[in-house]
Amino acid sequence: MRSARFRLLFSPLSACLGAVGVLLVAYIGLIAVVMSYAALTVEFSQSVRNEEAAVAALESEYLAGMADITRTDYAAAGYAKPSVQTFVRAQSATASR
Amino acid sequence: MRAQFRSRIRLILFFVLLIALLILLRLYFLQIVYGEDYARKADRQFASGGSGLFDRGSIYLTRKDGALISAATLATGFLVAINPQTLADPESAYAAIAAAASSTLVSRDAFLAAAAKKGQTYIEVAHRLPEEAGRALAARNVPGILVLRERWRYYPGGSLAAQSVGIVSYGSGDALVGQTGLETVYDGTLSRTGDSLYKNFFAQLFSNVGNLLVDAKDAREGDIVTSIEPEVQLRLEHDLAEVTTRYTSKESGGIIMNPSTGEIIALAAYPSYDGNDLRNVDPSLLGNPLVEHVHEFGSIMKPLTLAAALDAGVVTPETTYNDTGCITVNTARLCNWDLKPRGVIPLKQIIVQSLNVGAAWVATELGQERFRKYFTALFGQKTGIDLSSETGALLGNLSKPQQVGYDTAAYGQGIAMTPVQMVRALGALANGGVMVTPHLARAIRLNSGIERKLDSEERVAVFSPEAVRETTRMMTAVVDEKLENGKAKIPTMSVAAKTGTAQLTNGRGGYFTDRFFHSFVGFFPSYNPRFIILLYTNDPQHVEYASETLNAAFLDLVHFLIDYYAVPPDRGLPSEAAPAATPLS
Repeated sequence: MRSARFRLLFSPLSACLGAVGVLLVAYIGLIAVVMSYAALTVEFSQSVRNEEAAVAALESEYLAGMADITRTDYAAAGYAKPSVQTFVRAQSATASR
Repeated sequence: MRAQFRSRIRLILFFVLLIALLILLRLYFLQIVYGEDYARKADRQFASGGSGLFDRGSIYLTRKDGALISAATLATGFLVAINPQTLADPESAYAAIAAAASSTLVSRDAFLAAAAKKGQTYIEVAHRLPEEAGRALAARNVPGILVLRERWRYYPGGSLAAQSVGIVSYGSGDALVGQTGLETVYDGTLSRTGDSLYKNFFAQLFSNVGNLLVDAKDAREGDIVTSIEPEVQLRLEHDLAEVTTRYTSKESGGIIMNPSTGEIIALAAYPSYDGNDLRNVDPSLLGNPLVEHVHEFGSIMKPLTLAAALDAGVVTPETTYNDTGCITVNTARLCNWDLKPRGVIPLKQIIVQSLNVGAAWVATELGQERFRKYFTALFGQKTGIDLSSETGALLGNLSKPQQVGYDTAAYGQGIAMTPVQMVRALGALANGGVMVTPHLARAIRLNSGIERKLDSEERVAVFSPEAVRETTRMMTAVVDEKLENGKAKIPTMSVAAKTGTAQLTNGRGGYFTDRFFHSFVGFFPSYNPRFIILLYTNDPQHVEYASETLNAAFLDLVHFLIDYYAVPPDRGLPSEAAPAATPLS
């Protein structure tokens, strides 16, 4: 009668060493990915904040410009106040006649 | 065959181990051998610890076209620190830093004292360096000088809506938190826990999968979107500054609100402050007088008295009364502003001519209990506005039996309330008789991207639509007939308004005879208003009546709003053949 004993193709030690190697590489790879991800996140967030700060500077200019317009004394700038104010019907710019 | 397979496996294994060994070797050199060099390089690239940088959500103003403009945001720049142990030449280091950061650098003596502390390795000497200046200083590579990233709270508008937006500062802890205004009311939404920008995906994945997928912070943290319109706010602030300067008032304030929704379009007080520079600011200015201070508003109370009487049915628009010019109530003598009697006149004249005797007569007709009921409904509780430190009204006279307290309250003396309470109550005349909740924030823009609307649904009915319509008709006559002797009338737009002049209390239970509080309220278009405007100026000099101080500011705002929002005409559309013309003074 033929023996039914199961025989491995390679020794358990080799299999374990192989698994350890693969896991080690995977672990190191994972660390590399995490570090790259963290570095990119920091870089991107920093870039977003820098852009926001640049936008804030533009907004500040816009508001200062509006404040200047509001403060402008047109009489002092040589413009005369109209003597009569006339209320007329608005003419539609788009309606076909 | 088997031996060949085994040798191949071993070969692969060998290469795998070799690669792992090489990577470990590389990591060893990176971390251990050259670690310090890389850390220094990282410092030079300004990559200071991310979690150490200040982070906070923004507060936005909303332009009429829906565009958002920051009222509070973050500015990015650099701070300069020194390491006294490696700082070789403090004099030249100071000169180098001073060239980049002259305004924010500590004094020379303080710098040299810091540089002498050889036991320390990190002392901050300058803050808020602009981007270019910081980079230029870092490029000089001065030993012992560290140029590090810094972020701080920045208000692009400076003093624009400062008292509504509020400020952040260090509270009891070591974190910057909101101290006044929207900054404190919405601190929970605006504050950041610090790690959201630098989230480590894998660490999160391994530690807490639930938080990664549905982060509670993302549902809480966000930006605040207000209904304040920047150009309207600027205009209001400009007009208030003009009034205050021209009449040397103690302070002035104003609110422009949508009476239907309670959305505040502009809210300002003068004097104010610049949130970017608090070094020399009077601390009393940091609060918001429009919710914290109470005033006796004077005759702008009369429309509310009339509306209450009309609503209760004790008078009708056709009712007349005999105006004697002065009356005596509980030994107190109450008079019209000009002491003159008018005889038998219709109710409308109480508003048009601002008659105190008429308002007192209406209060008597209404009766104490009903008067108390209406005025408690109008002013008996805080408005619930989203600003901190809101104060309640002083209605003590309405809990006493003396009729004089009710008669004076009918024309706005003897009871005091905040400007926000006043505009809320008067808003009921503009929107069919209901009081809405005034609010500045209209939405929260969550970090998750969702925008959560904040419209308040609370509406308290106080007057019938008929009562407020009749009162509005009387207030519209004020602009059409009385204001600037009728010249203020706008042929194509009905505007309802009322002026108020109240004597200031002298602190000894009486009133000054020569010091006043001026107020002005108006809304338009009268019968379907889009805006209600409340203005006041406290203790203006050498002028007695609000019609003199606040007229110009009110009319300027009305015309500005009509033009800016292109409010369509609601009456008197002129024909092309005969346009309506108004001479301008």
